[in-house]
Amino acid sequence: MIEHLLAALSPLNLVFALLGVAAGTIIGAIPGLTATMAVAVLVPITFGLPPQSALILLGAIYTGAIYGGAYAAILLNTPGTPSAIGTTFDGYPMARRGDGDLAVSVACLSSVIGGLVGALALLLLAPPLARAALAFGPTEYFWLAIFGLSLIAALSTGDFIKGMIGACLGILMAMIGLSETSGEVRFTFGSQTLLGGIEVVSALIGLYCIPVLIDLVARPDRHLEHPPETRGFRLPEALRILWVERINALRSSAIGTLVGALPGAGGSIAGLVAYSEARRVNRRPPPYGEGNPGGIVATESANNATVGGGFIPTLVLGIPGTPPDAVILGALLVQGVRTGPALFSGASDIVYTFIFGLFLATVLMLPVGLLIGRFAYGAIVRAPKSALVPVVAFMTVIGTFAIRNSMSDVLLMILLGVIGWLCKLRGFAVSPIVLGLILGRIAEKGFVQSWTIGSAIGDLPGQFFGRPLSLAIIAMTALGFIYPFWPRISAWLRRRPAAPRAAQEAPSRARVLLDLGAIGIMAAVAITALVQSAGLGRDAAVFPRTIAIAMLVFCALAALRTLVARIVTDEPSSGSWPRRIALPLVMLIAAMLVPQIGFLASGLLMGLALMVVAEYRPHRPSGWLILAVSVAVAILAFTLAFRDLLAVPLPAGRLF
Amino acid sequence: MKLMTLAAAAFGLIAGAAAAQDWPQGDVQYIIPFGPGGESDITARLQQPYFKELYGKELVISYQPGGGGAVGWSQLNTMPGDGSVIMGVNLPHIILQPARGNVGYQTDDITAVYMFHFTPDAIVVNADSPYQTLEDLVADAKANPGRVTFSGSGKGSANHLAQLLFDEMAGIQTTYVAFGGTGEAVTALLGNQVSAEWGYTTVGKAQGDQVRMLAVAMEERHPAFPDVPTFRELGYDLVSGAYRGVAVPKSAPEEVRKAVSDAIGAINANPEFRQRMLDGGFALIDIPYGEAMDAFMAERKTTYLNAAQRAGLIQ
Repeated sequence: MIEHLLAALSPLNLVFALLGVAAGTIIGAIPGLTATMAVAVLVPITFGLPPQSALILLGAIYTGAIYGGAYAAILLNTPGTPSAIGTTFDGYPMARRGDGDLAVSVACLSSVIGGLVGALALLLLAPPLARAALAFGPTEYFWLAIFGLSLIAALSTGDFIKGMIGACLGILMAMIGLSETSGEVRFTFGSQTLLGGIEVVSALIGLYCIPVLIDLVARPDRHLEHPPETRGFRLPEALRILWVERINALRSSAIGTLVGALPGAGGSIAGLVAYSEARRVNRRPPPYGEGNPGGIVATESANNATVGGGFIPTLVLGIPGTPPDAVILGALLVQGVRTGPALFSGASDIVYTFIFGLFLATVLMLPVGLLIGRFAYGAIVRAPKSALVPVVAFMTVIGTFAIRNSMSDVLLMILLGVIGWLCKLRGFAVSPIVLGLILGRIAEKGFVQSWTIGSAIGDLPGQFFGRPLSLAIIAMTALGFIYPFWPRISAWLRRRPAAPRAAQEAPSRARVLLDLGAIGIMAAVAITALVQSAGLGRDAAVFPRTIAIAMLVFCALAALRTLVARIVTDEPSSGSWPRRIALPLVMLIAAMLVPQIGFLASGLLMGLALMVVAEYRPHRPSGWLILAVSVAVAILAFTLAFRDLLAVPLPAGRLF
Repeated sequence: MKLMTLAAAAFGLIAGAAAAQDWPQGDVQYIIPFGPGGESDITARLQQPYFKELYGKELVISYQPGGGGAVGWSQLNTMPGDGSVIMGVNLPHIILQPARGNVGYQTDDITAVYMFHFTPDAIVVNADSPYQTLEDLVADAKANPGRVTFSGSGKGSANHLAQLLFDEMAGIQTTYVAFGGTGEAVTALLGNQVSAEWGYTTVGKAQGDQVRMLAVAMEERHPAFPDVPTFRELGYDLVSGAYRGVAVPKSAPEEVRKAVSDAIGAINANPEFRQRMLDGGFALIDIPYGEAMDAFMAERKTTYLNAAQRAGLIQ
């Protein structure tokens, strides 16, 4: 063991671990750049390296990228990677109230803990955990996805019915395109763009980030509370939080390791499950979803634990636990390293050196992560709105493009952003839609496979409800769904009137009509899905049809409530309409100009236009010039980094 | 044999060097229309270092997944044809997908310039499975129609087609469960969620003694598995699998098509590369651009379309 530890600590490996973590953190911080892409880009560099060093470099990048996703989640309400969705729930509220620096430090410490627990499990428990992961069949993945969806009860910000409608909408969106389990093309309305389905990361960027940008330009006030003075890393405070949340951190790390070891799940589910559990047992104010640091601890420790966890099936079974693992597996094969049980038992220098390298990278993440986090926080807090908006908007465009090298994805991202913003306005929270979009595919696949196997063996109920692991997940799901309603249920059980709701004034006629209109549109989506399903085969139609019917039922319930009880939940947005409309419009026009004048040219045009849209203070010409130059330099820097460092084929058009 | 390989390698190097004068001008984008970790990705990764060795330029692999490859292929012809972009191409995908529905491209829209390997279909079972031979499995399926379940990668895919054809040949009825890729299908097999897997010889190689292959759909036995019989030996005329190669956009001029074809051929001729491919359970083929490719595609098209029709996959 010791010799492997020493091998991992060679100067070359130390440098690689440090560089890898730093590069990974920066890449992960940019929405759209995922750990998968970061690792894929760097694989060729590793061909010339000894296998151990190559693996350490790749593992360090991966670790850093998963952590880096937390910055955008906390500071821009935009999960940089799907693993960081749960980080937005409490991280962004903390940043809004001026605790963004604290949130970033808490995320860093939690990530280090999660990473260490995951790596420890990889070192000590890999073969048994890999066996355990195999017990998860299609049925268990189906129930696990449903368990993740149970978070909707908590995430729908006070309106459960609208949350469920949003989740159904998300699931139906996930059904778009060529289906894996049936081989049929669904809900594309003849569009080539939709054939491959809605890309999850670009949808995340659109649904989370565009509404933030729209609200940013609506009013002249600052993006985040400005801290009164520089408070450093607020490390003592963060350490105290971690000490209070130590059980949470360890439980979430364990969940992250286990879920990470499941080849069909991955970081997003791990974070959500850990968040859900932390929320259920939390007794400390403020409530989860309103800026409780416990939520960050749960998600960030869980998602970094999936790094070590995901390597378990990758190295033991040769089956990648997560998409970045798949890339690393490919790199290993090129290096001539064959994975499988022999790798652990036999001559396993490479594996153990690699695991110690992972420890090393995780520990290095503490100083590197804190430093970069401090810088990111400072940049976002200090930047004037008129610089922040265009640069972030450009980041969303270039990040979305880089995922599949597709301009159609960019247009779709902006449109989804507008849809998300409108949904939010009418009281349909974005998070349930996103959950539906991510978990819908996993749920459908598991459902159809279980259905097929259950029918074949002639025991459908047994397949879905007779497996012990499934039953355990079902029980946890029931708890997750019921928990948010527990205060009311317990009051009812004790035959006492529930705590009176805050007296609401009767909604105006206009608000009632708008609410009914929004519910009507949702119902129309469900009916469209039903009609379209009629032309599909059984395997392709069963899941979307079920969801569409459920969506209609929820729409009917919501309409009834609005009409009878006169309860309307919505989230009014105030501020300048011209600016709010201009933001997505400028982005759409710029995206459409790309094929003509090129990516950089339209990016610069967009940046300068958005600078004007976002600026409220008057400037002298020299002030405008300085602003314009800084925005242009930032956009140029991003473009060059993407094009030359990451080899993203940005369209050049007629100009540049 | 060895001499011939060497000669082929030498020839490939010369051909590659001649083409290198004008191609590649810079790094070449190699788009894999699938996610990472699959056979297409792994073989591309294996090619990557040899490309650099030949030309001193990078072969930059990127992923454009979606629609079982259809998203990438439907966009291939919108990409620059100057040789800066090449794309992985798979059979039977590009033949069966357009035949089954509108996927945004037709088979003839794809300009394949080199097919470099294939993965033969194989029936794989868990090491602790009661099926010792193919006959055990067939007997069980005859006694219990529909109860024998197979995992496999995708619907309307090479695995699915093989299952349908074999059911017909053996006069049995089994249940095919589609998974999202070979990795997921193998996971289900290892976890005993299904009775067997319709996979490739690569699965047998990657999983070692955790699994057992009952038969391979090749003309002759795979050199890496001398003990595993072919379907033909056992009386079933099944030779099938998935072929992989490289395509260029339609706008690519003749010289570029030729140069790319030569490059892939030169890599295929490298003995070290060949060994690595065989070690991975792949089987190498050499179908270069020109008449050979036209004849190969025409033959494959007839074979797959006939088989798919017989199996009821297409009308």
